[in-house]
Amino acid sequence: MSERIVVVGFGPVAARLVDDLLPAVRTGLVRLLVVGQETEAAYNRVMVAELGVGRTTADALAMAEVSALESDGVDVRLGVAVKRIDRARQHVVLADGTSEHYDRLVFATGSRPVVPNLTGLNPDPTGPVLPVGVTALRDLRDAEVLRSAVAAGQRVVVLGGGVLGLETALAAAEEGAQATVVHNGPFPLGRSIDRGSGSVLTASLRAGGVRVAGNARSTGVETAGPGGSFSALLLDDGSAIDGDLLVLSCGVRPRMELAEGCGLPVGTGILVDHHLRTYHEPHMFAIGDCAEVRCQDASCVECRTANGPSGLVGPGWRQAEWLAEYLVVLARDGQSAADALEALPKEKPGVVMLKARGIDLAVTGDNLADPWDEELLEAGAASGRPRRQVSQWADPEHGRYVKMTTRGGVLEGFVAVGMPRTAAELVLLFERSSELPADRSLLLRLDGPDQLDAGATSKDPQRTVCRCAGVSAAGIEDSVLEGCSSVAEVSKATRAGTGCGSCHDDIKGFIEKHFQATAAH
Amino acid sequence: MPNGADTHCPYCALQCGMTLTPAQPQAASPAVEPAVILDVAGRDFPTNRGGLCRKGWTSASLLHHTGRVTEPLLKGSDGVHQPISWDQALQLITAAVKDTQREYGNDAVGVFGGGGLTNEKAYMLGKFARLALRTSRIDYNGRFCMSSAAAAGNRAFGVDRGLPFPVADLDTASVILMLGSNVAETMPPFVQHLQGARDAGGLIVVDPRRSPTAALTSDGGGLHVQPTPGTDLALLLGISHVVVHEGLTDPDFISTRTSGYAAVVRSLATFWPERVQSLTGVPAHLIRDTARLLAQGAKTGGSYILSGRGVEQHVDGTDTATAAINLSLLLGLPGSSRSGYGTLTGQGNGQGGREHGQKADQLPGYRKITDPAARAHVARVWGVDESLIPGPGLPAVELLKSLGQPDGVRCLFVHGANVVVSAPDAHAVTKGLRSLDFLVVCDFFLSETAAEADLVLPVTQWAEEEGTLTNLEGRVIRRRRALMPPPGVRNELWLMAQLAKLLEAPSTFSDDPETVFEELRLASAGGLADYSGIDYAMLDRGEAAYWPYPSGSTGTPRLFGDGFAHADGRAVMVPVTPSKRVRSFADGSLALATGRLLEHYQSGAQTRRVDELLAAQPQARLLIHPGTAASRDISDGDYVTVTNERGEVLCRAELSTTVRPDTVFLPFHFPGQESANRLTEAVTDPISGMPEFKTSRAWVRKASVIKEAVLAVTGLPLHAKEAS
Repeated sequence: MSERIVVVGFGPVAARLVDDLLPAVRTGLVRLLVVGQETEAAYNRVMVAELGVGRTTADALAMAEVSALESDGVDVRLGVAVKRIDRARQHVVLADGTSEHYDRLVFATGSRPVVPNLTGLNPDPTGPVLPVGVTALRDLRDAEVLRSAVAAGQRVVVLGGGVLGLETALAAAEEGAQATVVHNGPFPLGRSIDRGSGSVLTASLRAGGVRVAGNARSTGVETAGPGGSFSALLLDDGSAIDGDLLVLSCGVRPRMELAEGCGLPVGTGILVDHHLRTYHEPHMFAIGDCAEVRCQDASCVECRTANGPSGLVGPGWRQAEWLAEYLVVLARDGQSAADALEALPKEKPGVVMLKARGIDLAVTGDNLADPWDEELLEAGAASGRPRRQVSQWADPEHGRYVKMTTRGGVLEGFVAVGMPRTAAELVLLFERSSELPADRSLLLRLDGPDQLDAGATSKDPQRTVCRCAGVSAAGIEDSVLEGCSSVAEVSKATRAGTGCGSCHDDIKGFIEKHFQATAAH
Repeated sequence: MPNGADTHCPYCALQCGMTLTPAQPQAASPAVEPAVILDVAGRDFPTNRGGLCRKGWTSASLLHHTGRVTEPLLKGSDGVHQPISWDQALQLITAAVKDTQREYGNDAVGVFGGGGLTNEKAYMLGKFARLALRTSRIDYNGRFCMSSAAAAGNRAFGVDRGLPFPVADLDTASVILMLGSNVAETMPPFVQHLQGARDAGGLIVVDPRRSPTAALTSDGGGLHVQPTPGTDLALLLGISHVVVHEGLTDPDFISTRTSGYAAVVRSLATFWPERVQSLTGVPAHLIRDTARLLAQGAKTGGSYILSGRGVEQHVDGTDTATAAINLSLLLGLPGSSRSGYGTLTGQGNGQGGREHGQKADQLPGYRKITDPAARAHVARVWGVDESLIPGPGLPAVELLKSLGQPDGVRCLFVHGANVVVSAPDAHAVTKGLRSLDFLVVCDFFLSETAAEADLVLPVTQWAEEEGTLTNLEGRVIRRRRALMPPPGVRNELWLMAQLAKLLEAPSTFSDDPETVFEELRLASAGGLADYSGIDYAMLDRGEAAYWPYPSGSTGTPRLFGDGFAHADGRAVMVPVTPSKRVRSFADGSLALATGRLLEHYQSGAQTRRVDELLAAQPQARLLIHPGTAASRDISDGDYVTVTNERGEVLCRAELSTTVRPDTVFLPFHFPGQESANRLTEAVTDPISGMPEFKTSRAWVRKASVIKEAVLAVTGLPLHAKEAS
């Protein structure tokens, strides 16, 4: 009998795992049961805000189709939660009372939004009942709520200056809503960016039609709207921000009650080793938002400096791909073959890119040091390891700002606002740990207008005018001097213009210039 | 004696119309030998409209080149080639084939063909291999060229014709997306057909380099999209993502003319523009702009997507071409009268050459060699028992890897290919050739591959022969003889006919091109590439013959108007995703892309012998970004080494902001120390067998002073020195 794998949760990360396991399911090497609490199969949650402002459709977000999976032999249960896990019997017990055996179990339970402690909001973290007009924008129904508000041009208050909050506010503003971002620091995106980029970002948000309320501590929500719905966000200075919809964007927390409930060790997330195995139960795994990779080896440097789940989907997908291969090898070739697989490589800090039409922002790593910050720059520079270097460009008037923090020419962090091509290159250079050009300004110039038509207006007589036939400006001028007075004649004499013909206008120019000059005499 | 001719250029697949006319004898010239010198002139033909590039203009100078091989040459034990008679040559070959096969079996003899051969030669080469040499081991250099696009086209449309529409259709398009194709250098007269899109601001060029074609997008001509090498697939998924999510698809077309839509949409969900930006280096807004322009074009003047080797010559080339096709299907382009998808065929007869049996897995008419009905049909035309036709052989890279290996090929025929320069991992290929028991190379010059041969056979050039080719739009055209070849030079059809006789082959082997074409018609009848309704007379009348052209029909200028070539008439959308193979460029390495220059063609065996072209581009130059060069202390014109685990190239550097800082570009037309293919890897696409030409990892360093001093003394291009 082939092994049965049970996947708990059916979000984007589980979808990737299921996809990669499909070939093994089709051949009967493994059997697969996927249990999802939502009634929909996996969809791309990362784009829920886009759906909420009407920029895409739920169909286009789908990452899996139940009928297709079922015809491949996958057992899919949707709209039903896993109630508990019986480790001794290797059973999952579902909310509908049924229980299912597993040989391997994968937690892909993801995370849930943090509901801040505000008066007027239910503080129960596992099952918050939010007042009408308050949403955490996590699933398709939340998106529908935002959709109605945006379509009606209502006032949307976003609590939280993180990436998702900014994306939601910007998109809502662009699509016709009145959007306000409320955050508690001096600038949005908190500690991941520095003051310079924070200031430029704030200005850009305002230019994009978003109201920004910084250094604001919220204390409660007022529900004096129709039918007891949200009407204002209350701040600790006694002021209030009026609105029709409150979007909570205060981060996420791993969903790990099931793991905890069956006695598995947890930290920030469900603790797993470099093979994504839970502690003490090597046939149970966790991936994605709910997993925290931190092995039990005290000497492991990688884990000593690890920061818990990143909350980004990229690392989750890489875990899913890796685990699928591991599970297949395990089922096909046994434990020792699976253990021989190379462990999942260490994740670099994730790059955050604002999904927004009006603002280009990319940021990653540590950006706190300034170019003259000796203490921060020297930190970690020992035994031949070079010190940090910081290069910076600020042009707030035009909404542009770049800071690059490097060690030995390789990026440790960067932030780029308002410079899309520069940002795109920096992301690649960071991801690949490539050395930056010694002249950092080269990267800034990628967004300059001089990049496009370099050399096109050269007056060098040796420059090639007709590439196809290899004829220089001088060659054409000579033929005109010798009496050619039409493009056809120049072509006959020099072959210029006899290929693609795109230099005909240039040749005409030479002829006209010559005859104008002659006429003037 | 022919007296000039209306024919086509010998080089690329645009097959520009040209007229060859005997020049007036020069009065002052001493009458050593009254050789006919030909004048070249552009001729009005829909692909080139009278235009020619430098390669075409100078093509006739090779006919009387002093380096021409005019007698069979046998390599002596001293390694020096000496002339022998044709009789001796034929006897030697016959003996070599028989000895090899007696000792090692029939498949120890192999054939490597070329996409520059006429339809007649390509057809006959496949028949010769299977019936006279009785081997399955035949493949050709088109595997390095069109195989990925072909595999993707077959998978999606059920048929592979490079452009399924006449090239002049492009003139009225308002948007043209060029994927990894540098036509401004590879087929310059083609640029005329981009003018309409440029005028409409709708030319979009995807190329890591600001190539001359990419530069055509400046001044409002359109967009240049500059992904880092090897990430085209992700880019295309990003563009498709925007098309789906912004509701820019053509739902009627998708529901009535395609299958597989839902699965493709699911596969696109995770490729939102910002994520694609982090994979490709292309700003998210450019990805969105590209999608919107394409959709807008499809609704107005027409949108075309054209793919080239830049996106196809990768280990994921078939999937990348598939992603381009999926994008075109989402937008409803294929089969429309004013929009479409196509791939730009490279070699002169790259289209016809891939249809008539030069491929390891194929029989004439684009038939599968494993299909019993196809085998029965071809066996009937050839008048042999079906069991005499061997099964599928090995694709090019595998064939070359097998040279000299146990159970590999030990005796090889090469026709119209210069694998020492053009195949990936050139060092390994050269080693393979040297390990052969017997190597026969047919060429007009002592190319780098011919120099390795035991026996070199002199064959006709384009202006000395009759035949047909099939250009990039699937149109069959005539090549005509303008003058007689030098004495001692033979046509390959004659060679195959003679050898077939000596090897006691069944069936018939004519040396007359028209007779061979008549047989090809029958063999192709009923196949996908059906030529049965085409004959020399109609081509000579100037009729435009696009295949499929079944007998009794009027041919097919535009495919897919009524349906696609699958049983249900629908195009198939196949979900594809980028490979998980992660490339690290952490240790100071750069992405090396290879490609072409305007002045040279393929391995340069011909164009490096044209004085004007060699003078313009005498040696390989590595394009490197000034910033990348600065950190390596490299100045413009310095000699640099480009190295990786497979080999080293020594050449000059050219500093240019047209390349990305993380990428260097090296043309592949040069041999020896400048040979780009010493660095490319012989890993291949799992579906098409296409090697990875476009993205290798390499380290670039300034060459040591000693090397530079030696070069400065001689002052010669490196390859010229090697040859001397």
